[in-house]
Amino acid sequence: MEMAVEASKVSDAPRGRVLVLLDGSQMSYAALEAATDIARRTGADVLGVFVEEANLLRSAGYGFAREVGAASGVSRPFSTDLVEERMQRMAEHARKALAQAMSGQGGHHTLNIVRGEVVDVVLPLAGPEDVLVLGRTGWSSGYGARLGSTARTLIRKSPSRVLLWCKRPQSDRDRVVVFLNDHEPANQRAISAAVDASRHRHLPVTLILPSDTELTNERVESIKRDLDVLGSGTRLRQLAGFDLSSIARILHEERATQLVMSRECSLFRAPGMEELVEGLNLPVTVTP
Amino acid sequence: MAVPAALTEDQVYHHCPVEKLDFETTESLEDLELPCGQERVLRALEFGASMQAQGFNLFVLGPSGAGKHELVQRFLAKHAADQQAPPDWCYVFNFRMSDHPRAIQLPSGQGQAFKSDMNDLADELRTAIPAAFESEEYQSRLQELQEEMSKRQHQGLFDIQQEANQNNIAMITTPAGFTFAPMRDGEVIEPEEYKNFSDDEKALIESKVEDLQKKLQQAIQQIPRLKKEVRERVKALNEEMVQLTLGGPIGELREKWRDLPAVVEHLDAVREDVADHAEAFQDGENGPPAGLLGRYKVNLLVDNSKTSGAPVIYEDLPNHQHLVGQIEHHARQGTLYTDFTLIRGGAFHRANGGYLVIDARRVLTQPMAWESLKRILFSGEIRIESLERLYGLVSTVSLQPEAIPVSVKVVLLGDRMLYYLLSHYDQDFQDLFKVEADFEDDLTRDDECYSLYARMIATMARKLKARPLDRLAVGRLIEHASRLAADQRKLTAQDRVLRDLLSEADHWALQSGEDVISAGHIQQAIDEREYRASRIRERSREQIQRGIVMIATEGAEVAQINGLSVLTIGATMFGQPTRITATARPGKGQVVDIEREAKLGGPIHSKAVMILSRFLAGRYAGDGELSLSASLAFEQSYGGVEGDSASIAETCVLLSAIARVPLKQNFAVTGSMNQHGEVQAVGGVNEKIEGFFDVCQKKGSVGAHGVLLPASNVEHLMLKETVRSALAAGDFQIYPISDVSEAIELLTGMEIGEADGHGEFPEGTFNRKVADRLAAFAKISRQDETSDGNGSGGKQGE
Repeated sequence: MEMAVEASKVSDAPRGRVLVLLDGSQMSYAALEAATDIARRTGADVLGVFVEEANLLRSAGYGFAREVGAASGVSRPFSTDLVEERMQRMAEHARKALAQAMSGQGGHHTLNIVRGEVVDVVLPLAGPEDVLVLGRTGWSSGYGARLGSTARTLIRKSPSRVLLWCKRPQSDRDRVVVFLNDHEPANQRAISAAVDASRHRHLPVTLILPSDTELTNERVESIKRDLDVLGSGTRLRQLAGFDLSSIARILHEERATQLVMSRECSLFRAPGMEELVEGLNLPVTVTP
Repeated sequence: MAVPAALTEDQVYHHCPVEKLDFETTESLEDLELPCGQERVLRALEFGASMQAQGFNLFVLGPSGAGKHELVQRFLAKHAADQQAPPDWCYVFNFRMSDHPRAIQLPSGQGQAFKSDMNDLADELRTAIPAAFESEEYQSRLQELQEEMSKRQHQGLFDIQQEANQNNIAMITTPAGFTFAPMRDGEVIEPEEYKNFSDDEKALIESKVEDLQKKLQQAIQQIPRLKKEVRERVKALNEEMVQLTLGGPIGELREKWRDLPAVVEHLDAVREDVADHAEAFQDGENGPPAGLLGRYKVNLLVDNSKTSGAPVIYEDLPNHQHLVGQIEHHARQGTLYTDFTLIRGGAFHRANGGYLVIDARRVLTQPMAWESLKRILFSGEIRIESLERLYGLVSTVSLQPEAIPVSVKVVLLGDRMLYYLLSHYDQDFQDLFKVEADFEDDLTRDDECYSLYARMIATMARKLKARPLDRLAVGRLIEHASRLAADQRKLTAQDRVLRDLLSEADHWALQSGEDVISAGHIQQAIDEREYRASRIRERSREQIQRGIVMIATEGAEVAQINGLSVLTIGATMFGQPTRITATARPGKGQVVDIEREAKLGGPIHSKAVMILSRFLAGRYAGDGELSLSASLAFEQSYGGVEGDSASIAETCVLLSAIARVPLKQNFAVTGSMNQHGEVQAVGGVNEKIEGFFDVCQKKGSVGAHGVLLPASNVEHLMLKETVRSALAAGDFQIYPISDVSEAIELLTGMEIGEADGHGEFPEGTFNRKVADRLAAFAKISRQDETSDGNGSGGKQGE
């Protein structure tokens, strides 16, 4: 099913800040790029957050503490001084990276360096209008983890939409794919996020309906309104089944470059969905 | 001594017996497949072409224009027609060593089919493999595999984390790895608080942390092995998919080509390679890279699908590349690229299993071509290497195609000088070119030859698309062939000159609007050719006529004679008289060859003068000393003198100088002489006679003029019509002489005189005059020696 509609009219005024979590990992710097890209297009301010993890600092305070290399497996001495020094260095690096990324842009940028637990620090900072950008994994990507524990918690609890960034997929992919469900407010939030992503990067959108959705007249009208908002080139498709391979297949067929879904979406709660998100090499926006 | 009789008209020309030519025109004559009179060459070719042993290649030697190339091509085409067409050869990608393309031999004509099969396979790969990798089956199996491996990878770490948590120990991620610390309610305990723990508790925690660290180390060190396992299993899955997809098409091809193990091996290598590059095939949109599919193509180097019999290849520019092949390159943005599809075969590849005909001179003048040719013949294989690589001028990586075994008979065409030089100076030559096929320059002219020669002319005319010749024209051409052979009993085998003459005669027939070439057209062609080449000859004759070059054709002179020489300029030659003079005075037996002293005389001429000197001493000095100081010179000769054909003339003029007897200037003399005064044959007699005849004509009228020539040269005479007419009219005489005495008698009109038992010559004879003068010289010499011995000190000037 394909429908061409008028280009949407969406307010260009910034609605909130762009929060970006920086921890010195490669993925966090990739997320910083994405965050500044959004800020550049929307004129939003950027708030960088660098958290000095309390648990890490405490664990370095033990006399018997050792650090086991993630790649080599070699055990090395570990101390508070070492961790403090490392964190200072990384924070400084994050500050410079943020300044450099924001140079020449209109919006303000700030780096908050906070000591504590990441989730505890970030959740109070994020508002409903903000966009929280973070790498899908932090340091744990070094040993192959594809979705860090911090990311898991934030996408479930954040009041703002969360963009889990990963390295750009292949350049021949060019669609923002949005999963919808029966929860209309959640759908609107997801569509709104898709509109932003689509508008920023001039990408067409595909709306995916769950397999069990009945297309009532009311539903079709609602979708038409959504399509009006999303602009020309928007496609509507329905999942063949509720299994992960059907989802993977439709994403592949649609050549998705970004995935948008609400955490209220039934798919999000489906067993194995996290693994699917892990397995997809796609930036994912999760809306409240 | 009796003076020989002058030659009759019939003796100086061998007419063609027209009655032997039983046809109206050559149109009715059958073609002659092989030339007549070349039995030696044909037997050599038959032997060389059939001989299988190594090194029995052929060198066909003969003069330029003898028709070597045409004969060899014609013979080999016939010989090769009964043989089997050789196999095809192709190059394919070498999947083990990419810079060493593999050569595959296929039965004749099957190369195209193999190439086509592989192209079809590549097309199928382009679509079928990506489709297989796109399939749901593959995608889900791949995902399962990756999930499983990922789980196994994480499981180790997860288990350790679980174990740590169960023991109230936190596993904390650091920027570089992991660390462990005691925790409570998900929070790491403050180190200060930990100090308050009992020693037992501390020991327990630290022991557990140490244990966890060890386990973590082990788990992390397992990860590379797990990753490797993933790769191997993905590869195995890819291979399985490829096998399933390609099983059909490759299986069919394997079945089709099952008799050719090399092809089957290549097909298996292709299948393995596709599996190895499965990832590259997974792009369903763009398909696999062209470079990857290009590796499955076939470079058909030698295609014998249209070859019947063994190939006969003539390479007209036998340089190194054209002989052994080359590797071409594509230029892309200033960089050169090549691959196995850019390997180009050479003449050796095309001639493999057959015959390769090459001009010897051309191959010798091309850099490294001769060495490359020998290398191939010695090694029995063709290895394609560029010249710059052979010279060591480049060291960049390039292809080194697998050598192809070669079985080719090389036929070199060249002149005799080249053959003898190569035999002498190139040690390899005799090992490689053992069969010598020597062309006859001339054919024997006998009664049987006429019909064959006429058929040969008829064949030639047809090939030239010339008009047919009538029998008189053929007769005239046969006579001219004898003239070209300079022998009444021979016919020239020079193919080119006859062909040219035929073409020209055809032209003149066309000009005169006739359908048949007649004897007149042949004569016109001969005359026109002669005229076109006559500029220098005419200038020379004009100078004689005007007296610039002094030649006397009347009267008698002492110590002066008309010698005859031949000038060869390009393809033409003509004769002309040369004045030879002599001086004689007392001396010590010296005959000074002025030409030699001036370094204008060649060694043969010098030898002839020495023979002359010894002849004089032998005939006139007896046991005494020859008291003579003589000199000989070719007057107004500035270009050098070579040969011994003036020996008779020189002897006569020297004797005239000694005896002071005049020589008749209406004669010219040619002939070589031995130490006994016997006359020996010389070359160019026709041109010499005609040259003197023309000079006499130019200077006035011909009457009582003549030429003295060696009797053994009479059968070489094929004189032109004007000379023969003058001969018939008695205005011009040709005397065949066998001894110098005959020449003296003819030139002086005196009796020569035979020595008696005491060595004395009769009074009034020519020899007596010579002997008397030499005796006078001897006397003078003795007086000089006596006066020297008395101490007078004076030295007689010479």
